[in-house]
Amino acid sequence: MTSTFAAAREMRPYLEEPKAMHVGAPGKKGYLYLGFELDADGKSIMRDWERHAPLIVQQALYFDEAMPEMPCVYILSSGGPNVDGDRYEQRFVVRRDAYAHISTGAATKLAEMRHNFSGLTQRFTLEAGAYMEYLPEPTIPCRHTRFIADTSIEIDRTATLVYAEIYMSGRKYFGEGETFRYDILSVCTRARRPDGEKLFREKFIIRPAEASPSTTGVMNGFDVFANVVALTPPEHADAIYESTEAFIDGDRSIAAGISRLPNGCGLIYKVLGAETQPVKRLVREFCSAVRSQVKGRPLPEEFPWR
Amino acid sequence: MSGRRLPIAEAMRLAQLTDSALPVGAFSFSNGLETAAQTGLVHDAATLEEYVRDIVRQTARTDGIAALHAYRSRLREDYDGIVEADRALMLCKMNTEARQMLRRMGRKLAELATLLVDDAAMSRWLDDAKRGAVEGSYPVAQGILFAACGIAERGLVASHCYGSANMVLGAALRCVRVSHYDTQRILYRLSGQADAIYDEISDMEIDEMHAFAPQADILASMHEKGSSRMFMN
Repeated sequence: MTSTFAAAREMRPYLEEPKAMHVGAPGKKGYLYLGFELDADGKSIMRDWERHAPLIVQQALYFDEAMPEMPCVYILSSGGPNVDGDRYEQRFVVRRDAYAHISTGAATKLAEMRHNFSGLTQRFTLEAGAYMEYLPEPTIPCRHTRFIADTSIEIDRTATLVYAEIYMSGRKYFGEGETFRYDILSVCTRARRPDGEKLFREKFIIRPAEASPSTTGVMNGFDVFANVVALTPPEHADAIYESTEAFIDGDRSIAAGISRLPNGCGLIYKVLGAETQPVKRLVREFCSAVRSQVKGRPLPEEFPWR
Repeated sequence: MSGRRLPIAEAMRLAQLTDSALPVGAFSFSNGLETAAQTGLVHDAATLEEYVRDIVRQTARTDGIAALHAYRSRLREDYDGIVEADRALMLCKMNTEARQMLRRMGRKLAELATLLVDDAAMSRWLDDAKRGAVEGSYPVAQGILFAACGIAERGLVASHCYGSANMVLGAALRCVRVSHYDTQRILYRLSGQADAIYDEISDMEIDEMHAFAPQADILASMHEKGSSRMFMN
């Protein structure tokens, strides 16, 4: 298990144990496992799960009006923000032909860190014909946050996964405004087939103190960044690619682009914006395009309180 | 240069393989600059310099690391290491035109290389690239060739940084309102940072490659979907 992140050179300045509960202590080592499968009647259900606080989920709900047969699960963190020395691990399995929608109950806040860092390890497994939407609320780093995420996806060539991440530059409206004041964000996402064939690997490291993330080629002055991976068979990917717009809209302060991932495994959709809501809306529209293509139905309107 | 003797043959070969006249087709590519200029993001010398710096920094952390690993693999006659550097690099190239550019230039450089040096690894790699058994990327071709002709490792990084800057600056002369003097000044200043880039990437492992340039990625996507185009990316 890589949750110690021993290979991550960029985290080596931050290996001091926090002057609180030690790394790995109960309550600091969250674990979540969710397994979805079709029941005897062909209904997708959350069949098995394991939860270690502070990561918790309640039962799957069927609230998606456009796809009422879809189990929807919100992940909650009972501990509030991710704090110094936290290590979380999430594992999701969607078995043959099953489907699920996962989000979080609120934005993930990453607290100020002084000694160590906060880490998240994720493993996704999607079997043949499986379909999953992973659309969490944004992640908000604050001053001196140090965060590393490592996500591995194993996906059958007939399955579809929409995996979205939205990162804010900081607590933009906190005090006098706090943008790009965190120490480091290190995010790696990679995918492979069940036979081991590697599909893609994307890693980004942002250290605002070292180089401003606001430059023309990087964030270009925007504060919110969304990265959405849509792994899906080529015939779906082609149609979604054609129907998805790439643009920079200076008036609305938003930009988006879509590209084909290597090895014909799907698409990557990137959005930059000044504010969270328009970015979330585009991510949701993109996910809706994927769902429409693969499942023949769009996403419903987002709840007004989200 | 006073204290150190740079062999003249090595210096000349470094210049030859870095020259924009090297027939690998670099002039066909703009690394997103064409769209950056069309949208007005890059519109003068200052915005061009910022964009070039971003591109050089980001490509060093991917292409530069792959080139170094291919170079060292060739020196220790580890063909599998070359193949692995090639594969790892292409896994992290997130758009079609970037992958096409690296393959096209890689093939051209390898074909040229087989006329310049008699190197078993280069010939084998070119054959493998032709039949699709390896990715055939440009930084890996550079790594093999520089090792084969005895150019120092820092020379490889110099050539790589110079090449990625010069590609954008060359394109800028055709699509941004800047002069040759502007682009030369930018290039000169950028060279001053290249040692720091070497220090950053020189001991990085293949699986430490990383890049963060979402606006450049979006520009690449707009270019790929666009219709009026002078450059191939």
